[in-house]
Amino acid sequence: MAIRHGFMPGCSLPSYSPTNIEKTIEFLRGVYPELSVIQKCCGKPTKSLGQVELLKERFGSLVADIKDCQVDEMLVACQNCYNMLRESDAFTTASLWERLPQIGLPAEVRGKALASDVVFSIHDSCPVRDNRAIHDGIRWILQELGYKTVEPERTRENARCCGFGGMIVPVNPELAKKVMDRRVKEMPTQHIVVYCAACRSSMLMGGGKAWHILDLLWGPVVTSASQPPENVLASPVKAWVNRYKSKGVIARSIK
Amino acid sequence: MAVQFAEKVYALAKEIAEDCQGLEAPFCAAECPMHTDALSYIRHIREGKLDDAVRTIREKLFLPATLGRICAHPCEKECRRETEFKQPLAIAALKRYAAEKADCVELWDVRVGVDTGKRVAVVGSGPAGAQAAIDLRKAGHQVTVYEKLSVRGGMLRVGIPSYRLPPKVLEFEYEYLDRLGIQFKLGVEVGKQVCLDDLRAEFDAVILAHGAHQGVVAQVEGCYSQGVTNAVDFLREMAFTQGCSAMGKNVLVIGGGDVAMDCARSALRAGADAVRIVCLENECELPASREEHEATIEEGVQFDYGWCVDAIHERDCRPTGARLKNCLALKDESGKFNPQLGDEMRAVECDTIVYAIGQRVLDIANGKLPQGGGGRYRVDPDTLASDIAGVFVAGDAAGTTIAIEAMAHGRKAALSADRFLRGISLIAERNFKLEASYKTRYDVPVPEDTKDLVRQHTRLVEVGVRRRSFAESDLGFDDATALSEAQRCLECECKECMQECLMLNEFTGCPGELFGVFLAKQQVDALVPYSCNLCNQCTLVCPKEFKLADAFMSMRKDFVRANKGRSPMKGHGAIDIHQKLSFSRVFTIKRKGRE
Ligand SMILES: Cc1cc2nc3c(=O)[nH]c(=O)nc-3n(C[C@H](O)[C@H](O)[C@H](O)COP(=O)(O)OP(=O)(O)OC[C@H]3O[C@@H](n4cnc5c(N)ncnc54)[C@H](O)[C@@H]3O)c2cc1C
Ligand code: SF4
Ligand code: SF4
Ligand code: SF4
Repeated sequence: MAIRHGFMPGCSLPSYSPTNIEKTIEFLRGVYPELSVIQKCCGKPTKSLGQVELLKERFGSLVADIKDCQVDEMLVACQNCYNMLRESDAFTTASLWERLPQIGLPAEVRGKALASDVVFSIHDSCPVRDNRAIHDGIRWILQELGYKTVEPERTRENARCCGFGGMIVPVNPELAKKVMDRRVKEMPTQHIVVYCAACRSSMLMGGGKAWHILDLLWGPVVTSASQPPENVLASPVKAWVNRYKSKGVIARSIK
Repeated sequence: MAVQFAEKVYALAKEIAEDCQGLEAPFCAAECPMHTDALSYIRHIREGKLDDAVRTIREKLFLPATLGRICAHPCEKECRRETEFKQPLAIAALKRYAAEKADCVELWDVRVGVDTGKRVAVVGSGPAGAQAAIDLRKAGHQVTVYEKLSVRGGMLRVGIPSYRLPPKVLEFEYEYLDRLGIQFKLGVEVGKQVCLDDLRAEFDAVILAHGAHQGVVAQVEGCYSQGVTNAVDFLREMAFTQGCSAMGKNVLVIGGGDVAMDCARSALRAGADAVRIVCLENECELPASREEHEATIEEGVQFDYGWCVDAIHERDCRPTGARLKNCLALKDESGKFNPQLGDEMRAVECDTIVYAIGQRVLDIANGKLPQGGGGRYRVDPDTLASDIAGVFVAGDAAGTTIAIEAMAHGRKAALSADRFLRGISLIAERNFKLEASYKTRYDVPVPEDTKDLVRQHTRLVEVGVRRRSFAESDLGFDDATALSEAQRCLECECKECMQECLMLNEFTGCPGELFGVFLAKQQVDALVPYSCNLCNQCTLVCPKEFKLADAFMSMRKDFVRANKGRSPMKGHGAIDIHQKLSFSRVFTIKRKGRE
C-alpha cells in the first residue's frame, strides 16, 4: 500500500500567514496527491506549563485526528510539532525542511533571488538543535532560491534560543526581551531568516528584520531595501483572524 | 502555595547542588589560608585595572606589598600551572606588582562597626596580632595592641631581613591599623611590665599573638662560647643595626630552612668574609624554598649537606671551629625526627656560629596555659580558645609557621573573640573549613589546547652588588613581564552557564547555589522555573552537562499539580485561553486526503 502523507502547519504559522499555508499545501499536493491537512495545536504550550494531564488529553485528540486521516507520515512546518509528534509511534514524522531537498522546489522559484543584494543571517530553531538534516535543508532551500547567507557564531547545534522558549514571555517579559535582543545582536547582518513564526516574532521584537523561510519561498524577492512583514503575532486579534482564515484555506484546498 | 515536589526534582537538585562547579574556589584561593581571590586580581592586572586589583587584594589582605614580597605562597604549590606543568603562576609577585603600581591610602577601607563598648587587648603586633586587631576593630570593639619591641610587625620586621622586605614597605602598610583607630602600647612586655591577669581584668577579651621568639641552641660542647648565637637574636640585631656584635668574619650557620638562608645571607651583607651552612638534610630534601636556596648558593654561601655539628671548638671563649659528624637519616625507625649520626668526622673553621634550628614560644601566662612542642599553647584548633575564658591564642604562639597562616589564625581568633563578646556560641553555624586552607572540589579539566608557558621572573639585583647590600635585592616585575605572567592564569573557575544564560543571572550566582537553597528551603519561587526558556543552552556549555531545563520543567509540573492543574503564573492565563482555542472546533480543522 502506498504511504499516505499528512501536513500540519502548527499554530504560529497559520496565525502569521494564511498565504504561506495555501501555497505550501498547493505545492505539496502536487507531490502527494492524497495529502491530508490538519490544523491543530500539538500541545507544546500546555506541556511547557507543566500541565501533564491536560496534555495527555489534548495530544491524544491530535493523534486521533491523524489516525482518522489514515496518515502514515506527517510533514510538519513547526519544530515544536516535530518534537511532539515524534513521541507518537502511530505514524512517522518528518520536517518539511528536510523533505523539500528530497522532493525539490518548483522550477519557477529556483534562482529567483540570485540578483538580490541581501545577505541573510540564519537563525536556527533551538528545539531541533540536534537535527542536522533540518539545518542542511534550510541552507539548501536558501541556496536554491539564490539567497546569500551568513552564519552567526552560535548556530546549528549551538544555536541560541530566540527568547520565546518555555512560555516565559507572559511571565517574565523583561527577561524575554533581553534574550531576544541578545540573539538579534549576535546576527552578523540585519536581515534574518528563520523557520519558525514565533522565532520571527522574537527577532522583530529584538530589533531585527526577519523573514520566515516560506516568505522567501513563496513571496516576493527580498532585497537589502525590503522591510519585513509586520509582527502579526504581536496582535492577538490579527493572529486569530489569520488562524481562522488559514482554516478556510485548508477547507478550500482539500474538498 | 506549599508545593510537594517529586522525587525527580530532589534528585536533580541534589546532583546539581553537590557537583556544580560554580561555587568551587580556584586552587589558589582555596589553598590560601586567607582565601585571597588571586584569579580576580590577576584578571584585573591583565585588563590594566590596577586599582581594582588592589581593592580585590585588600578585601582579604591589609599588606599586599609585604606579602607580595615575602609570602611563602602555599597557593603557588596548588596552582593548576604547577600541578599541570610545574610552572606555577607568580601569584605573590603579581600581588606586589599591583600594590607597587596602585596602592594608596585612598583605596583603604577604613570603615569600622558601631561601637560595642567592649575592649580587647592583643599581645604582639606581628601578622597574627595585627589581623586580629583589624577584624575586632572592624567589628566595633576598642582594640589595644601590646608590643614589647619599639617597632611593629613581629617577625616580618625583626626576623625577615630588610633586603627581602624593606621596613618602610611594612611600616606604610601598618599605618592601616592607625587609620582604623587601633591603639598601640609599644615597648611594653606582657609578663614583665604587665601580666596576663591584669589584662584579663582590664579588658573584655585577650588575644595572645606573641609569636615564637626564643631562639634555640643545641646543647653541645662549646655552645656557651661567645660568638655562638641563635637566629632570632642574630636577625633581630641585624634588623636594627645591619650588623651583629657577636659576629666575626667566618660564619657558620646551622640549619636547612629559610631562616638559615636569611642568617647566611645577612651575614654576608654585614661583612662576613666566608659563610657556610651546615645542615642535616641532603641537598634534595632541604626544607628551604628553592628560590631562597638558589639565591643563597649564588651569593657564594658554602653548603655542607648531611652533616651535624657535634662539638664547637673554642679558644678564649670564642669559637675557632666545629666538629662535624655525618648524618645517615633524619628520622628513627618509628618515624620520629631523631637524626641518626654515622662515624665519619670532619673539622671546619669558623669564628661565629648561628643556630637556625627553630624558634620556641615563651610562656607569658605564668604557666596557666598548657604548652606543647616548641612551647606552643594548646588551644582548641577550631576556635583557638584557651583554657582561660575570653583568652584566645593566634599565630606562631599557637603553631603557625608562615605569615599568611598567622593572619588566618588572627582572623579566626578575632571571630571567636567577637562571638565571646557578643555572648554567642563559639561554634554554632560556623564553617571551620573556610577558615583555613582546604582542597577545592573544582575538577573541570584543563582545555586540551592549553600550552605550557614558562613562568616569568622578577628582576634581581646583580649578585655581586646584592650580596653586600641590605637594600632590596628583588626589584619585582616590570609592566611587560607582569602582563605576560598574568596572561598565563588558567582562570580555574566555572562560570560557563552564567555566561550563557541571562535567566540564571536574574536569580542566582550559580546553579549549585540556586538548587542548594532550594534543597535547604524545600521551596522555590515559581517565577524561577517559569522564567527558564527550556533552551538547554546551559547543558551545552556545562562541563557536568547538568540538565537544568529538566529540573525546572519537573518543578513546573509540581506547581501545576499543587495548583489544581493550572500554572501558578498570572501571565499564563493568556496561554490557557490560547491553548483552549487552539484545540477548539472554531480554529481547528482536519481534512482527509483522497483515498
Ligand atoms: C627569620 C624568619 C624569616 C621568616 N620568613 C618568612 C617568610 O619569608 N614568609 C613567611 O610567610 N613567613 C616567614 N617567617 C615566619 C613568619 O614571620 C611568622 O610565621 C609570623 O611572623 C608569625 O606571626 P605572629 O604574629 O604569630 O608572630 P610574630 O610575627 O612573631 O609577632 C609576635 C610579636 O609579639 C611580640 N611579643 C613577643 N612577646 C611579647 C610579650 N611578652 N609582650 C608583648 N609583645 C610580645 C614580638 O615582639 C612580636 O612583635 C619567617 C620567620 C622567621 C623567624
Ligand atoms: S556550567 Fe553552571 S551548572 Fe555546570 S558546573 Fe558550571 S556553574 Fe555549575
Ligand atoms: S591558574 Fe590562575 S586561577 Fe588557576 S590556580 Fe593558578 S593562579 Fe589560580
Ligand atoms: S534551559 Fe533554562 S537555565 Fe538553561 S540556559 Fe536555557 S533558560 Fe537558562
